[in-house]
Amino acid sequence: MTVTAVSTTSQRKPAEAIVVDDVHFSYGKRPAVRGISFAVAPGEILGFLGPNGAGKSTTIKMLIGQYRPERGSIRVLGHDVVREREAVQSRLGVCFEEKNLYPTMSGVEHLRFFARLHGLREVDVDGLLGRVGLATRGRDRVAGYSKGMRQRLMIARALVNDPDVLVLDEPSDGLDPVSAQTIRGVIREQAEKGAAVILTTHDMWEADALSDRVAFINDGRIYAIDTPESLKLAHGKRSVRVRMRRNGEIEERVIEWSGESSAAALAEATSDGELVTVHTEEATLEAVFIEMTGRGLS
Amino acid sequence: MTGSRPSRASLVVTIMRKDLIELSRDTVWLVLTPLVLVFAILIFWLLPDSVDETLTIGVYPASLAASLEGLALADGEVGLRVIGFDDEEALAAAVLGDGERAGGAVTAGLAFPTGFLLRIMTSQPTEVRVFVNADVPPEVRGALEGGVREMAFMLAGAPVPVTLLPDDEMVLGVDRAGAQVSLREQVRPLAVFFVLITESLALASLIATEVGSRTVAAIIATPARVADVVIAKGLTGTLLAFSQALVLLVVLQGLGTQPLVVLSAVLLGSLLVAAVSLLAGAAGRDFMTTLFIGVLFLIPMMIPAFALLFPGSASWWMQSLPSFGVLQALHGGATFGLGFGDLSGAFASALAWTAGLFAIGGLVLARRVARS
Repeated sequence: MTVTAVSTTSQRKPAEAIVVDDVHFSYGKRPAVRGISFAVAPGEILGFLGPNGAGKSTTIKMLIGQYRPERGSIRVLGHDVVREREAVQSRLGVCFEEKNLYPTMSGVEHLRFFARLHGLREVDVDGLLGRVGLATRGRDRVAGYSKGMRQRLMIARALVNDPDVLVLDEPSDGLDPVSAQTIRGVIREQAEKGAAVILTTHDMWEADALSDRVAFINDGRIYAIDTPESLKLAHGKRSVRVRMRRNGEIEERVIEWSGESSAAALAEATSDGELVTVHTEEATLEAVFIEMTGRGLS
Repeated sequence: MTGSRPSRASLVVTIMRKDLIELSRDTVWLVLTPLVLVFAILIFWLLPDSVDETLTIGVYPASLAASLEGLALADGEVGLRVIGFDDEEALAAAVLGDGERAGGAVTAGLAFPTGFLLRIMTSQPTEVRVFVNADVPPEVRGALEGGVREMAFMLAGAPVPVTLLPDDEMVLGVDRAGAQVSLREQVRPLAVFFVLITESLALASLIATEVGSRTVAAIIATPARVADVVIAKGLTGTLLAFSQALVLLVVLQGLGTQPLVVLSAVLLGSLLVAAVSLLAGAAGRDFMTTLFIGVLFLIPMMIPAFALLFPGSASWWMQSLPSFGVLQALHGGATFGLGFGDLSGAFASALAWTAGLFAIGGLVLARRVARS
């Protein structure tokens, strides 16, 4: 099967912070990533969408230098991630999917430890904890943290070196809606400061709301990469749901929106009786994903 | 915010500090460490610090045994028991331990030549063969020689020229003459090694947890490399094991007259068990599997320590165990006051094993970390 990544926004500036070029990786004989290419500009948030086993985490692991690509190259901030690993790591912030924290250490101790690994002696640990809503619990040991608190600490840890590239694997996993909103705010702030952000998520709504662009990944390949809006316009189906009262009864009709013929159908549908409600419905990213890849995200 | 690029040394120290913080909050380790120390110290002090030096002397021919029974040896504290033999070879075998008599081993044997009594009665020069067990000290050997002369004096009524030529004195087994050691001294290397092993298991558990929970992945996503993690773990393990063993040695007064030799042996032992920790920690999935794998490695390494408790039980294959060199150097330095020159072989063996195991442990852990 030949897959071509679709891009409908050709006017974009060339991405520079992250450049992934025709990258391949296999686990033994099982290919996990097959020729992925994409780029992320400074200040841009790229959402990586795909089901489990699609190749998202493997791509992330190559991006952060944990796995070495078998073919192709990855450049972060102009440095090759394999040959110039240290130059990349010092400007990278990573939030892992697993809650890989030390239960016997406090939030403050975590941030100080990771700051020292980045060569930083003075870090505003309290300020950082405040940004993720952990100001009052920073001195407590992680063993006493809830799942959401651990996730917030992981975000704070990823920000400890004020990174130019932020890699987030399921950043709002396990968070309540308020905490998730806080975290999204923090991610946006970092992007506004010029950081290139790449995040994986299963949450379509989050990807849609947070990402400047999204990449659909499946079976080790990128099927499409573009802004959520463009993807939905190009590949999704829109519709209008009309509810009319006729002879005392409510009738509902869904009109697929596909141009002038749809306008005529809407006019016809609303010409007789009392209009109760009209709703336009946009395609969801999930629907677009299914449309393009033939499978769901979960 | 970009800090100054951290040096390899500072990264290693940072990881070590974190490991020590974690260990200082590990309840199991906090309880186990002093418990093992106290246990080792208690065992040491409960064991006897003196040696029973009652001697069983075999005499050939058996007809002369009765003449020796009334003999008082020069050292009044040394008891004497005499057993007669009708065969010189049987006497030698009894001294070696093969033909052990009821009531205990024969520690020395005197083989008198045919016509011995006639020769001393006529003041003719004569020779006596002496078989000496390996653990008979020189002062007792001297007493034996004196005893033979005194017996000749008693029988002849005047001094007679009995010669015990150096060539005739046969030492059977490994010569430990002058190196009589009490059980307490013999148990010291075992106690030290036991403490080293306890510390190594704590580190192995820490490594397994770090790899299993993938916290190590977060470390290597910073400028720290896999090698920094491996070196830090190895050094932390060595530091912990060495410091505990040092405390034990000080309490047990085990530094002896060769403290540098003893400390070097303990340092090598600490490195050795730290290397095993890297292996066990990398292979283990949780505390129990790590413990199992660690014990699988460490039990065979305890065998040479037990062999020290039972001299003569050391088989050739024990010398091929990784811990043999360390324990030989430790025992030689702490108990017999041997120097680096005397123990060069033991140190060379210990060094080779330590370097080899450390390299293997480091590689296995590095591979596991990289794949986490």
